[in-house]
Amino acid sequence: MFSLDWWGLVLPLCYVVVLGGTFMTFSTIYRKRKAMESANLAPWFPPHLQRNIYLSLLHMEPEGGSEKAPKVPESVVRAALLRRAVEDIHRIIQIRTAKAACSSLLQRGSVGDDLWQRFQRAEKEMEEELRDVVMEANALAPNWGQTIFQSANEILANATLKERLDEIQAQTEKEKEWWEKRRTSIKTEFMKELGDDTEKVTSGDEPVLVDTNTPSATPSATPSGASKKKKGKK
Amino acid sequence: MSAEYAYDEDGHLWPFFVFTLALIVTVPLTFSLVNRSRDPAAAFKRIQTSYKHDQADLVDTLRKKEKRKNRKIWLIILVLAGWATMGQMLYLIKTTVAPEAKLWNPYDILNIPESATEKQIKSTYKKLSLKFHPDKAKPDPAKNLTIEDISAHYVEISKAYQALTDAEIRENYIRYGHPDGKQGYSINIALPKIIVSEGNGKYIVLLYSALFGVLLPYLVGSWWYGTLRRSKEGVLMESANRLFREYKDNIDEGGIITALSTGKEFEDLLKGDKADAGLAKLESKILAEGELSPFAGGLSVKDKEKLQNLESGPQRKALALLWAYLGRVELDDAALTRAKFEVAPIAEALNKAFTAISLAYMNTAPLLASYYTSQLLIQALPPKSSPLLQLPYVNSKVVKAVEGDSRVHTTVQKFMDMPDSKRRSLAVGKGLLTEAQYKEAVSVAKQLPYLRVAKAFFKVTGEKYIIPSSLVTLVVKGRFVPPGSEKVPEVNEIDLEDVDPAEDDLDAILGRKTKKQIGKDEKGKPILESTSDEPILPPLAAAPYLARDHSPRWHVFLTDSKQGRVAVPPFTFAQFDRPIFEADGKTPTFAMQTLKAQFQAPPQAGHYTFVMHVVCDSYVGFDTKMEVTLIVEEASKAEEMSSEEEISEPEEDSIAGIMNAAKGGAPPKPKKRKEVAKVESEEESDEESGTDEDDDDTSDTNTDTEAED
Repeated sequence: MFSLDWWGLVLPLCYVVVLGGTFMTFSTIYRKRKAMESANLAPWFPPHLQRNIYLSLLHMEPEGGSEKAPKVPESVVRAALLRRAVEDIHRIIQIRTAKAACSSLLQRGSVGDDLWQRFQRAEKEMEEELRDVVMEANALAPNWGQTIFQSANEILANATLKERLDEIQAQTEKEKEWWEKRRTSIKTEFMKELGDDTEKVTSGDEPVLVDTNTPSATPSATPSGASKKKKGKK
Repeated sequence: MSAEYAYDEDGHLWPFFVFTLALIVTVPLTFSLVNRSRDPAAAFKRIQTSYKHDQADLVDTLRKKEKRKNRKIWLIILVLAGWATMGQMLYLIKTTVAPEAKLWNPYDILNIPESATEKQIKSTYKKLSLKFHPDKAKPDPAKNLTIEDISAHYVEISKAYQALTDAEIRENYIRYGHPDGKQGYSINIALPKIIVSEGNGKYIVLLYSALFGVLLPYLVGSWWYGTLRRSKEGVLMESANRLFREYKDNIDEGGIITALSTGKEFEDLLKGDKADAGLAKLESKILAEGELSPFAGGLSVKDKEKLQNLESGPQRKALALLWAYLGRVELDDAALTRAKFEVAPIAEALNKAFTAISLAYMNTAPLLASYYTSQLLIQALPPKSSPLLQLPYVNSKVVKAVEGDSRVHTTVQKFMDMPDSKRRSLAVGKGLLTEAQYKEAVSVAKQLPYLRVAKAFFKVTGEKYIIPSSLVTLVVKGRFVPPGSEKVPEVNEIDLEDVDPAEDDLDAILGRKTKKQIGKDEKGKPILESTSDEPILPPLAAAPYLARDHSPRWHVFLTDSKQGRVAVPPFTFAQFDRPIFEADGKTPTFAMQTLKAQFQAPPQAGHYTFVMHVVCDSYVGFDTKMEVTLIVEEASKAEEMSSEEEISEPEEDSIAGIMNAAKGGAPPKPKKRKEVAKVESEEESDEESGTDEDDDDTSDTNTDTEAED
């Protein structure tokens, strides 16, 4: 029989243990850190105010002395659900438009991986949210779930339009003010010119409401025409 | 007679090894160091001006600091160490005497000339054997001569004699260089003996494990996490993520400025108490009433609300500093002023990331807004302010005097197009510009590179018609006409043509991929970028407030005005094929520049009207926007026309012919049979050109646009 030199084996065994140990520690630490990171990812959307309102309306706590919770009128609950649907539509549109951009940017390396993870989580959450809204709607009124998002979509479109209009309307005061000032200044200039006949009209023909982009407007006519001409020749 | 491996005991080999190793490492490092320390901005011309604003020195210091940051101390140390090692090794190589391996030479041993006759050899041998025979010679301890040495010497002598006289041994000598036949050889390993000597083993193992167990993983890890940390645009990944979140379809320049302030870079810049120091003062300064805009910082009411809704911290301070920078607000505080000039280049870099993000959405408005923001950041102008402020010494009072109470801003071009007397009467005066300042402003304006587009058209190289899905080239012809240039020559009609390279012009055909850089001279011969005449770089942007050197770029892209979508993503041009200014750097050449961009034509025939934007990223008001129409003909129509006009078939020996044959196409028909085979062969060639262009399609076209129109 041959005898084993146990002491000679200590070194290789140590090597294997150290190597294995290093890999194990690395992988556990790495995984833990990854899990921590993905758990701490900030949500894509801010807290869903409309959903919170709706849920708190549904589950009203009984107040002070009374035993029963205050009865919330059906119409209020429905309105709250509709508001929630409007906000959902708003969010789903954001996600839809951002999806293609986000994935292409991720491929190019212009945005990070954790953004994509957050994005996908938000997407899943939105799916759940939509399903939940449909179920709630069906519970409140039969078959409402099929139409609630259509109405919500229209409400949203209307709201955006109104917002835009308000923005434009808000400028009217300033514009009016400017125009009054401008008119008086032009008037005084004309008066001056009328009084002083010999002076030539110089500032009167200054463009008043002409679009600024004249440098762009001038070449636009010629080149396209020229290129058309060229193509026609051939 | 065996091969033996020996370590380098007398140290005459390992210096060579170390020298080579050091050479391999040091030379590339030195090269990169030299490359780095060369100022990249030195290659650019500058716009000549003597203008210095109040903080010009501060901006200069910041610029220099940035350049210094690019120099790496460790690199310098490493290179120095490398050269020192190499010097040391050279010295060792020179001083160490290598043991000579002597050739066995019988004549030398017998001490006779090689021309000696047999007789002489015999007599010499006899003489020597008498003298050195072990029986005759006595060991001499004084000379350290033992009996072994004596007998060995005698054996040598007899061997030498035999090698010269005995036929067999002579044969051995001739073949192997030694009378005994084949000799053993030794191989030396160019490592010092120290490495393997007893007791050093553990240190070597330690060194080895440190190299491969610690240093290698560290280097790989730091490289990998370094790439993860920064996005493709060179900003921190976290900043890019935040910018993506800030993107909105209706974002304007002010909104982008606010979005840029979310960058993580600002948190690093405004660490600790810097995040809040002087914030109140700063905000009161930028929100003070401005001369041209409601607030001194140039921000709109909406932007002000956004600023005030922020929590105080680095972001709020960065945003306030950015507005102070854009509004050119005096801050009367050294630290704040310095920070003000430091945030702008960071915002400029972040804006590049934002451009990439808005490009991914393919919406026109945010993309344009992002380019405009770049202009504003480089020129230190608030949104919707007068482009005249780009000129030196021009301040809000001058702008007011020039523009009056007109709502539309006077661009630099418009201002410079006025007759000199009118310009002067408007701008020069008490409280306005002095005569010298006015001259300086005009001189700078006359050096600004304004690209005036003369013509823009579409074409397919080598084809007369644009057929669906072909690779279309957008050719933009334009000249650099600085504002206020006098005696601008008429556009030469020949310059506007874009002649295809000849079919047998191999360079041009192979250079098709780098089409962007190819230009044409007057005779229509293509100039490749790689030819001896270097690409022409435009002068560095005249941006006295930006603490960086910036080389202007021009972006050309097509949009669909009805949908507000980008149809063809931007092509960026930073260099040109023809000189912009004469050698003195001031006189414009008015040479026709050619910008080319390739993209794939829509798959359906029809007329497509695009809006072409040519945007310069450095100057406000130098953009061009014009309508261009892309006419895509039915493939069948193009065939008809071409058969009427009889385009030449590829000749057998031309490249097109070879390619045709290589693709398995029918070999070109002889001329006589052409009439019969025309229709058929033309069909083939058309098909082929179509597929060909599909293959090397480089630009992605917006499919939405095509489908709708």
